[in-house]
Amino acid sequence: MEQDFLLLLPVFFPMAAGLLMLLPFWKKAGRGGKRLFVASSLALELVFTILCLTGGERTLVLGQLADSLQICFQVDLLSRIFALLSVSMWLLVGIFAFRYMDHENHEERFFGFYLIVEGALAALSFAGNLISFYLFFEVMTLTSLFLVFHEGTRPAILAGLKYLFYSVAGAFMALFGIFFLSGFGGLGNFMPGGILDGGAVSDQPGLLFASAFFLIVGFGAKAGMFPMHGWLPTAHPEAPAPASAVLSGVITKMGVLGIIRAVYYVIGPDLLRGSWFQTVWIILALITVFMGSMLAYREKLLKKRLAYSTVSQVSYILFGLALMNQTAFMGAMLHVVFHSLVKNVLFLAAGAVIYQTGKTRVSELSAIGKEMPVTIWCFAFASLALIGIPPASGFMSKWYLAQGALASGTGAFTWFGPVVLLASALLTAGYLLPVVIHGFFPGADYNYSALKKQEPSLLMTIPMALMAAGALIFGMFPDVILNAVTAVAGGIF
Amino acid sequence: MSGNGFLFFLTVWPMEAALLAYIIGRFSKKGRDLFADGAVVLEFALVLALLLSGLLSAGASEFWWEGFCGLGLHLELDGFRALYGLIAAFMWVMTTIFSREYLAHYRNRNRYYLFVLLTLGAVMGVFLSADLFTAFLFFEVMSFTSYVWVAHDEKEGAMRAAGTYLAVAVIGGMVTLMGLFLLSHTLGTLEFSGLLSACRTVGAGEKRALYLAGGLTAFGFAAKAGVFPLHIWLPKAHPVAPAPASALLSGILTKTGIFGLLAISCNIFRYDPFWGMAIFVFGVLTMFGGALLAVFSVDLKRTLACSSMSQIGFILVGIGLQGLLGEENALAVRGTLLHMVNHSLIKLVLFLVAGVIYMNLHKLNLNEIRGFGRKKPLLAFCFLMGALGIGGIPLWNGYISKTLLHESIVEYGALAAKGLSVCGTAAFWKGAEWIFLISGGMTVAYMTKLFVAVFVERNQERQEEFEQKYKSYWNLESKFAVVVPALLLPVMGMIPGLTMEPVAKLGEGFFGGGPLAHPVRYFSLENLSGGLISIAIGALIYFGVIRTILMRKGEKGIREYVDRWPAWLDLERMIRGIGKGLLEVLAVLCRVLDRTVDGMVVFARKTTHRQLKEDKIHVARNRLAYAMGCFLEWGSEVLNKTVRRKHPVEKAYVRRLMEFEEKTVRTNRIIDESLSFALLLVCIGLIVVLLYLLWLR
Repeated sequence: MEQDFLLLLPVFFPMAAGLLMLLPFWKKAGRGGKRLFVASSLALELVFTILCLTGGERTLVLGQLADSLQICFQVDLLSRIFALLSVSMWLLVGIFAFRYMDHENHEERFFGFYLIVEGALAALSFAGNLISFYLFFEVMTLTSLFLVFHEGTRPAILAGLKYLFYSVAGAFMALFGIFFLSGFGGLGNFMPGGILDGGAVSDQPGLLFASAFFLIVGFGAKAGMFPMHGWLPTAHPEAPAPASAVLSGVITKMGVLGIIRAVYYVIGPDLLRGSWFQTVWIILALITVFMGSMLAYREKLLKKRLAYSTVSQVSYILFGLALMNQTAFMGAMLHVVFHSLVKNVLFLAAGAVIYQTGKTRVSELSAIGKEMPVTIWCFAFASLALIGIPPASGFMSKWYLAQGALASGTGAFTWFGPVVLLASALLTAGYLLPVVIHGFFPGADYNYSALKKQEPSLLMTIPMALMAAGALIFGMFPDVILNAVTAVAGGIF
Repeated sequence: MSGNGFLFFLTVWPMEAALLAYIIGRFSKKGRDLFADGAVVLEFALVLALLLSGLLSAGASEFWWEGFCGLGLHLELDGFRALYGLIAAFMWVMTTIFSREYLAHYRNRNRYYLFVLLTLGAVMGVFLSADLFTAFLFFEVMSFTSYVWVAHDEKEGAMRAAGTYLAVAVIGGMVTLMGLFLLSHTLGTLEFSGLLSACRTVGAGEKRALYLAGGLTAFGFAAKAGVFPLHIWLPKAHPVAPAPASALLSGILTKTGIFGLLAISCNIFRYDPFWGMAIFVFGVLTMFGGALLAVFSVDLKRTLACSSMSQIGFILVGIGLQGLLGEENALAVRGTLLHMVNHSLIKLVLFLVAGVIYMNLHKLNLNEIRGFGRKKPLLAFCFLMGALGIGGIPLWNGYISKTLLHESIVEYGALAAKGLSVCGTAAFWKGAEWIFLISGGMTVAYMTKLFVAVFVERNQERQEEFEQKYKSYWNLESKFAVVVPALLLPVMGMIPGLTMEPVAKLGEGFFGGGPLAHPVRYFSLENLSGGLISIAIGALIYFGVIRTILMRKGEKGIREYVDRWPAWLDLERMIRGIGKGLLEVLAVLCRVLDRTVDGMVVFARKTTHRQLKEDKIHVARNRLAYAMGCFLEWGSEVLNKTVRRKHPVEKAYVRRLMEFEEKTVRTNRIIDESLSFALLLVCIGLIVVLLYLLWLR
C-alpha cells in the first residue's frame, strides 16, 4: 500500500504549533504576536486538511503496535465530512476566542491546548481502524481536559475532573467492546458496511451485541448519551465560552464518529438490525432526547441550558444512527453538521453576552437584544434552526430522521420516535425562544434612555454571523451537504 | 427554478421590501411609510394583473424551485389562489395606509413595518403554495413573523397573549409536521395535484392511517384558524394587537389556516363524508361557541375576535358540507368561499373602526367608550355596514354567503330525511340547522350590542368631551382606508349576480365543485325566511338577554355592561394549567434520570469508597518553599548589590513561593480525592500493561 505522508501534516502540525505555544517564552509576547501565530496555524491547518481531503483516498500506516495492531490513517468520505467540519469550526471559534480570551488569564495555555486538540481531532477523523481511533480518542480527552480546567477555580477543576471521569469510564467501555470485537476480526481497517468475520459472529451473536452495546455506551459518553451524559451540564458552564462551544459543537461529534465507525464501518448494520441491541439503543437515545430538552427547559443558567440542549440534540443524531437505514443515517449526518453550526453560534452568543455584560442567567437577559442586536439576531436564527423551523437547517435533518424512522420497521418506534423528536423540538422552542423574546421585547416600561449599545467587536460578531448564516443557508440550499451525505450513506447501505 | 417567476416574486418582493423599509426607516420615518405604501400597492397591482391575465388565458401558472430546503418549492396560481392573494394584498394596502396614523405614537415602528411586510410575503406563499410542504414552510414563517405584531405593545397582557399565540402556533406546527411525515410516508407525495390520485390507490387498511395523518396535518391549520378548542389564542391576541394587525390576523391569518384545511379537505378527502362530518361538527361547535363568547364579552375588540371565531365556524360548516354532499356540493363550495371573502372584508372594516376608537381613547371597554360614536356619522356608517354585513341582513354581503350555507344544510337535511345520508339522522340535521340559525341570531345580537353601545347610547360622564375634543378623530388617509372597504360591502350584497357569483366561480377548480344545478334566487321568500328567523332570534337575544341579564345598575346608577362569563371557564388558563402540571411531572422524572449515574458515584463515595480524611485541607509542608524562597531572596540580594546595583529588584520570593505551593497542594488534593483520578491511574496502568504485553508477546 502506498504511504501518503501528507496525512501527517494536519495531525502533527497543530500539535507542534500547540506545544510551541505552551513554551514559557510566549508569556511575555504581545497579544498581536500570539494572535498572529494562532490565526496562521489555524488557517494553515485548514489548508492542509483540504489538501488531504482532495485527490481520492489516502492511507498511511504510522506504526505497528503488535502484529495485528496497526496505527494507521485513511481518508474516506466520512472522514472528509468530519475533518472539514471540525477544522472550519475550529478556525471560526478560534477567531472569536482571540477577543474573548482577553478577559481570562493564560491565553497562551488555552490556545496551546486548543491547537493540540485540533490535531487530535484531525487524527480522529483520519483514523483508519478502531485501535488508532481509540488512541487519539484518549489524546483528545486528556488534552481537551485543559480547556475545561482553564479558569483554574475550584468549580472548574471539579467540573474538569467530572469530564475526565465520564470520558475515561466511557473510553474503558469502548475499549472493552474493542477487545471483544478483536476476536471477530474487528481490528482491521474501516470499511463501509462492516468488516467482521461472518462465520465467527454467527457462533456468538450475544457477545457481538454486548460488545456493540459497550461501544455505543462508551463512545456515547462523549456524545452525551444517557446514562453517561452527566459531564456536559457540569463542564460547559465552567469552561470559557469558546471551549464550551467546541466541546459541544465538535468534540461531542467525535463520540458520534466513534459510534459510526464502530457500528457502520466495523460491525455493519446488517448484523445488528432487529436485535435487542438496536431496541436498547433506540430507547436510550429517545430518553436522552427528551430528558435533555426537558432539563434544558427547566434550567436557569444560560450556558447550562445550552449544555442540556446539546445532550438532547446529539441524541437526535444517535437516534438516527440507531435506526440503521439509509434515510435516517442521512438525517443523522445532516444533523451532525447543522447542530455543530448552531450550537457553536449559541455558545458563542452566550459567551459574547458574558464578555460584554457578565450576565449568565436567563432571567437577567431582558433587553439584551436592544443592547447587542447582532449577537441576539444570530442567537435567534440559530434557535429557529435548532427548533427545526423551515427554511432554517434543523428542519431538513428532522425530516430525514422522521422519514427514516417511519420506514425503519422498528415496531412502535416508527411513530413514537418522531413524536419524541417533535415533543423535544417543542421544548427546544420553550427554552430558546424566551431568551430571544425577552431580549427583543423588554416590556412597555423599559427605559429606553438607559439603553447602552454593547455590541461586541467584529472579531466576535463575524464568526457568529458566518455560522448563523450557514445554519440558515445550508437549510435552504442543502445540495452540497446532501450530496456528501448521500455518498457516505450510499457506501454503507 | 422554472415556471412563472412572477409567482415567486409575489412572495419575495414583500420580504425584500421589508428589509428595505427597515433600512429606510433608520434614516427617515416618512420615507419608510411612503415606501411601505408603495410596496404593498405594487404587490396588489401585480396580483391583480396576474389574476386578470389568468382569467384571459384560463390556465394555471406554476413555479418550481427544485431542491429548495431539500424538498422543493412549488407555487401555483389558479382562480381561488389569485382571489385570495388579491384580498390579502388589498387588506395589506388598507391596513398599511391606516397604520400611519394609528401607530404615530408607538415605539419600535420600524420593527412593526419589517414584520408586517415579511408576513405579507409569507401569507402570499401560503396562498400560492401547490404542495403541502411549501404551504407548511410559509405557514411557519408567517406564525413567527406575526408574533411580533401581537407582542408589539410589550405590555404585560400583550406579552402573555403573544406567548399563548406563539405556543399554539409552535405546537400546531409540530403536530402538522407529524402529519406531514405520515402523509409523505403513506402517500409518497405532498403535491396537491398528486394527493388525490395517491389517496385513491391507498388500500382499505391504510385508510385509517390516512385519517390520522390528515387529522394531524389539519391540527396546526385549525389552530391558526381558531377552531374550537384550539381557539384559545384568538380572544386574547386580538384585543392586545394594534388594530391594523388585528384586522390582518382576523381577516387573513385565520384564512391561511382555512386554506390549509381546504387543501386537505379538497385534495386528500375530497367528497369524503366522514371527514366532512368531523369538520362539520367542529364547525358547529366553533360557530356556536364563538358567538356565545361574543355575546358575553364587554370589550370591543374581544367581541370582534370572538365573532371571528364564530364566523370561522360558519366557514367550517361549509367545508364539512362539501365533503358530506359529495359531488353535488356546488352550494356549499360557493357558500364557503363567499363567506371567507365576506368575513375578510367585513373584519377589515370593523377592526379598523375599532382602531379609530382606540387610537383616540386608548380604551376598548364598552362602558368606557360608550357614546364615542355619537355625532360621528361617517364612522357610524362604516361600522354599520360591517355590522349589517356580518349579521347576515338581506342586501348586505354576509347574507348571500350565509344563505348559501343555510341552503346546503337544508339540502343535506332533505337527503337525511329520505334516508340517503351517510352521517346523521334527520333530527340531527334539523338540530344543526337550528344551531346555525341561532348562531346567526347571536351575531345580530352582539353586533347590535356593539353598535348601540358605541354609537347610540350616551356616555354619562364624558359625552361632552367625546363630542367636542374628538371632533377630528381621524385623518384623510385613515378615512380612506376605512370607507373604501365599507362601501364594498353593500355593493356586493345588493348586486350578488354581478359581484359575488363571478367571485364564487373562481374557486370551483380548487374546491372541486361543479356548476350550480339551478341558479340561486337570493331574495326569494324561502331564502329570506332563513335570514329573517335569524334576525328575530337576534332581537330576542338582544332584548331578552343582553339588555337584562348582561347589564346591571352600576355604582352611579348608570346601567352598565357586565362580563358574566365565569372566570374559571377560561379555556386558555385551564390549558395553561394542565400544561404546567404535566411539565412539572415530566421534569421530576427527567431529573431522576439525569441524576442516576452521578447519584451512583456519590452513593459509592459515601459508602464503599469513603474518603478516609474528609477534614479540611492543611498546607503543612511548606518548608521547601520557605527554604527555596530564602535562597532566592538571598540570591537576589547578592545580585542587587553587585550586578544590578543601578536597578535593584525587590521581590518577596518566600511569600510568592509559599502561595504557589499552597495553590498547587490544594489543586492536587482535589484531584487526589476524586474518583476519576483513581480511574485515570487505573487507566494509565492498564494501558501500560497492555502495551507491555503486546510488545513482549
